[in-house]
Amino acid sequence: MLTNLTRRTLMKGAAASGLVAAAGGRALAADEPLGIVLVVPSPVGDVGWGRALADGLEPVKAAYGDKVKVTIIENIQEGPDADRIMNKVVADGNKFLIAGSFGYQNGALQIARRNPDVTVLHASGFQVAPNFSPFAAQYFQGTYLMGMAAAALSKTGKLGSVSAFAIPELITSINAFTLGAQAVKPDVEVSVVWVNSWFDPAKEQEAAKALLAQKCDVIFSNAQDTPSVVSACEEAGVPAFNLNSSMKKYAPETYLGCVATDWSPFFKASVDAHLAGKFKGANAFLGVGDKVVEVVDWNPGIPAETMNRIKEVEAKIAGGSFSPFAGPVAKADGSEGVPAGKTMTDAEIVAMDWHVKGVTTPLPK
Amino acid sequence: MNAVEFIIAGMLAAATPFLLAALGELVAERAGVLNLGVEGLMALGAVIAFIIVYQGGGHLLGFLAAGLASAALSLVFAVIALGFRANQVAVGLAIGILGQGLSALFGKSYESLTVKGLPKLSLPGLSDIPVIGGLFAQDVVVWLSLAATVAIWAMFAYTKTGLVVRAVGENPKAARALGYPVIAVRFAAVAFGGALAGFAGAYASVVYTPLWADGMIAGRGWIAIALVVFGTWLASRIFLGACLFGAVSLASLAAQATGLDVSSQLLSSLPYLVTVIVLGIISSNRRLLKLNGVASLGEPFER
Repeated sequence: MLTNLTRRTLMKGAAASGLVAAAGGRALAADEPLGIVLVVPSPVGDVGWGRALADGLEPVKAAYGDKVKVTIIENIQEGPDADRIMNKVVADGNKFLIAGSFGYQNGALQIARRNPDVTVLHASGFQVAPNFSPFAAQYFQGTYLMGMAAAALSKTGKLGSVSAFAIPELITSINAFTLGAQAVKPDVEVSVVWVNSWFDPAKEQEAAKALLAQKCDVIFSNAQDTPSVVSACEEAGVPAFNLNSSMKKYAPETYLGCVATDWSPFFKASVDAHLAGKFKGANAFLGVGDKVVEVVDWNPGIPAETMNRIKEVEAKIAGGSFSPFAGPVAKADGSEGVPAGKTMTDAEIVAMDWHVKGVTTPLPK
Repeated sequence: MNAVEFIIAGMLAAATPFLLAALGELVAERAGVLNLGVEGLMALGAVIAFIIVYQGGGHLLGFLAAGLASAALSLVFAVIALGFRANQVAVGLAIGILGQGLSALFGKSYESLTVKGLPKLSLPGLSDIPVIGGLFAQDVVVWLSLAATVAIWAMFAYTKTGLVVRAVGENPKAARALGYPVIAVRFAAVAFGGALAGFAGAYASVVYTPLWADGMIAGRGWIAIALVVFGTWLASRIFLGACLFGAVSLASLAAQATGLDVSSQLLSSLPYLVTVIVLGIISSNRRLLKLNGVASLGEPFER
């Protein structure tokens, strides 16, 4: 069953734990700090996915000081190595584990089942257990806005995306990007290159150049942790945007913006709940309205008229009155994806395995 | 620029990291030493070059330092594998892992920073030809790599040095009996191979993808080792193999960008598939393998 952990319930949890702490009802494990471990698949650089997660823990550190001990373990390949490392940190007495990649799911879930006193947060999965919450960002809300800007700046009407793996999270980002672009220019087309790797800067850059060679003139760097795509686009004088954390310093001239994620409200609330003994595993699918997804560093060259429209749509998304996946939405093969009058549910969005009309690259099967 | 022009223009640059590392491995293997540490040597070269270029030392100094650092690490391999006659496979793997570890350590504070690459130098006239013109606009390292390919080919084909290296690899006892210092020649070959692997890594981190990210070599060292076998220890075939691998890699990306209805997983594995198929065809010819293979490859030499 999917339950949405919304911002409101998060805040409730935070308030409740605050009250409990204030009432002295439950003392923090005073002598032993809470061991929080974050495991990520790539190196934590200045930018990217790992950096966004690490930054999300800063407010937790600031709030709890020496009552928490945060450890970040980076560059851990998905698979047996990750399972071994996660088991070890839990065996070492850490009680709060953040498994920062989809592929950690099975190992992390086993740990959660075997250790009921350990709280596990797992990035971009779908399994839920009483002490195991999957979390994901509604990137698609931000990429829809980026699509609007991209269409306004594109001269060729062709946009491109360098993407890691064809999983629903990335597919929805591309789809919303396409729909946002079509909202501004209906006949815009989007080409996608799947590099089938989370981390290969050289291949990512080659993919970006392959898209530029096809006359794509705005590029979406979909789930790249290094500025490989963004800096190649700057060199070519083409606007590009990415997810998670801003790469403006790598592309001062052409940077389109960043669909940034701020995990701190979610991490803070989860740690609060854990310390209060009230943690409840739930599917946390967080977006613009939760202040987890936010578009930052907009390119000043975006026409003011477009920017006004973008801001209007952004406010509607935050307020919940607009979804990029509100029908009618046609699939790439022309069939009906979402009927008019219907909107895709969260459960449907996290399982999306088709491209919308306008994405010219067939989806890998 | 269409997909075909994109592949033609990018092929040589994409092939360069493979080519440089494979040429270095070729020289080491020709001398009878199997060095499996190429991946780590490339990673070390990549991070050293990046640090120097980032700190304002320039590309020339960056490449030199990368070559020196990787040559030094490959000499550690040589001391253990040739001096102490440890198993070359095991030592090579260990040195490779060490190189990757060192690169991560040195590169820690440079993670995902960027530098400026090198400009393309065009051959006047030729680079204006339609469709294939892009082939003649490459950065200076690509041109030098082509020259190195020719030089190494000529060394083995025409010079005494080349023959000495081959003799040491074919029959070290006979070479020794003729008065050639087998171990010294092998040390030199390993160091040369290490330096080229360092250049290959430097090319990856300061020219081809001018940024540092831990793990950015992403298996290219292993492809380079495979290319040496695939090229049956001949510089000319290694060059062809590297170009083939580079071109197929780019083609698989370009095919997706044009919207071709082929599964991207298949396309991603295509460079490897093509290499394996060609490798299979070549190694099915026993005579050819015997002709070019290195007889004492991987065997320790005892006087």
